[in-house]
Amino acid sequence: MKQKVLKRSKKAALVLMVPTATFLMAGCGQEEAVQTAAFETVDQCAAYYNPEQCKADLGQALAMHTQVAPKYADKAACETDFGVGQCETPAQAAAAAGTEQVPQQAQASSGGFFMPMMMGFLAGQMMGRSGSQLKQPVQAQPLYKSRDDRSTFRTATNTPVAKGVGPTYIKPSSVQPKPAGMVNRGGFGAQAAKRSSSASSFGG
Amino acid sequence: MKKIACDERPGWRSYAESVGFEFHTFDGEAYWDETAYYQFNLRQIEQDLEEPTEELHQMALGLVDDVIRDEEKLRQLAIPEKFWDFVADSWRNKAPSLYGRLDLVYDGTGPAKLLELNYDTPTSLFETGFFQWVWLEDQIMRGKVPQGADQFNSLQDQLEAAFANLPLANPLYFASVANSIEDKGTVMYLMDIARQAGVDSRFIELEQLGEASGQLVDLEGYAIEGLFKLYPWEFMVQEDFASVILSSQTQWLEPGWKMLLSNKGILPLLWQKHQGHPNLLESHFEQAGQSFTAGWVRKPLFSREGANVELVTLSGEKISEPGPYADSPFIRQKLQPLPKFGDSYTMIGSWIVGNNAAGIGIREDNSLITKDSSRFLPHIILD
Repeated sequence: MKQKVLKRSKKAALVLMVPTATFLMAGCGQEEAVQTAAFETVDQCAAYYNPEQCKADLGQALAMHTQVAPKYADKAACETDFGVGQCETPAQAAAAAGTEQVPQQAQASSGGFFMPMMMGFLAGQMMGRSGSQLKQPVQAQPLYKSRDDRSTFRTATNTPVAKGVGPTYIKPSSVQPKPAGMVNRGGFGAQAAKRSSSASSFGG
Repeated sequence: MKKIACDERPGWRSYAESVGFEFHTFDGEAYWDETAYYQFNLRQIEQDLEEPTEELHQMALGLVDDVIRDEEKLRQLAIPEKFWDFVADSWRNKAPSLYGRLDLVYDGTGPAKLLELNYDTPTSLFETGFFQWVWLEDQIMRGKVPQGADQFNSLQDQLEAAFANLPLANPLYFASVANSIEDKGTVMYLMDIARQAGVDSRFIELEQLGEASGQLVDLEGYAIEGLFKLYPWEFMVQEDFASVILSSQTQWLEPGWKMLLSNKGILPLLWQKHQGHPNLLESHFEQAGQSFTAGWVRKPLFSREGANVELVTLSGEKISEPGPYADSPFIRQKLQPLPKFGDSYTMIGSWIVGNNAAGIGIREDNSLITKDSSRFLPHIILD
């Protein structure tokens, strides 16, 4: 007897696109999210945490800002990603932070680059707010906002961490700060922007 | 081949949204349309669609060798000279290709005719491979479609096998433009399949791709060894990072040689080499000052979704679709009007994965020119 051969897939399953499946996968022996928080000022932070710790966290974020912020050779490219008037030089950042000295690394490489302004800071989790020692602590660090999404705080590597000020849950590994070298971005996509008035897709 | 009205599944829109199919409706108009389906018999599928799809695909591959050795043809296809070696090397090095889609005119009888090849950035993938597959399972279960019905759609199985078996970089990055939910949806589906095949798949917005010391880099500054880009080659070669394409060690999907086949100029070249082939329509490169007469279609070398296509019907009616692609040379193709089912003109998109035909997706429009907004309808096979 002839077995019928089907012309269609044996299965059509999704693992990433379905929220429940994604959730189950994430819960499966993987890293757990921990609570931390995003703030714009020490006062906001002090409503939740020890004010001294808040000051220390802000100080650490300001110190890291120049080192980890995405860097651009020209201001327009930076503003394309972060918005007009939202970019600064290391010298401007230092002045705004009230420190006299531009960090040495920035001086050394200062052909005059541009970076987004710091929009807030992520509260650190060195000891765990609940007192428990975390295997991989969350470091206090600067936060940024992209041009097209002004409500979301993002790390220097563009990981969204919070919608607005206040507590948030994140995986520590997703927010490990890294020094950013000089990378050019935005070199692809200009044709799409130019032609986008009449096309919603660049597939076909 | 016939069109059969059918009840919609209750609640399909919220189901669609729950699986990431957010573009099921465009500007208030249906894009996914399950108020009807198309029915084919197995002979129509196998002899009239599947076999010609694979034959046309081989004919297209057979042209790549001809073109990379022929300066005149490279110029006819408007490939920038700076990229000739890149394209030729990608072909000689057998750079792997994932997929493509052939657009066909077919009404159930006679040979299907090739309208064009979408061999660089084909979309409607999720709709074909996943959503119409689920539709069939649901409608069989609900008794709205006969029990023995099948579908010409092994797209997801074949893509998963391709991701598992092709020599691809791992991790593999996937990029689409930031503000197209349709393109993002397509890329998310491919990433999902790649993940199921064991590929570490990572998304990056096309505009966020970086360059450091000539290498393409991700958001953290790490080199990107493999990139699937849902973005046309002919755009990339004229943008600021064009030189990065040449200097970066990145493996590209689709590979550089697809620049030749996604180009409408391949249609006159196919006709020159295989004149009179039953699945080809007569096509020529447009001559300067050539008059535009009844029964012909005018298409830019580079365009998608029907943009900048115009035609004159046999009765002299001129139909045109505006678009942003008027800046490339044009070809002329003999008009083979799409068949009409009810009030709609119907086109068949036939998929290739590797070198195998992998299924079809059906598009309907109220006009003879199929475009981005054209409705997608499911189909069944029933003997």
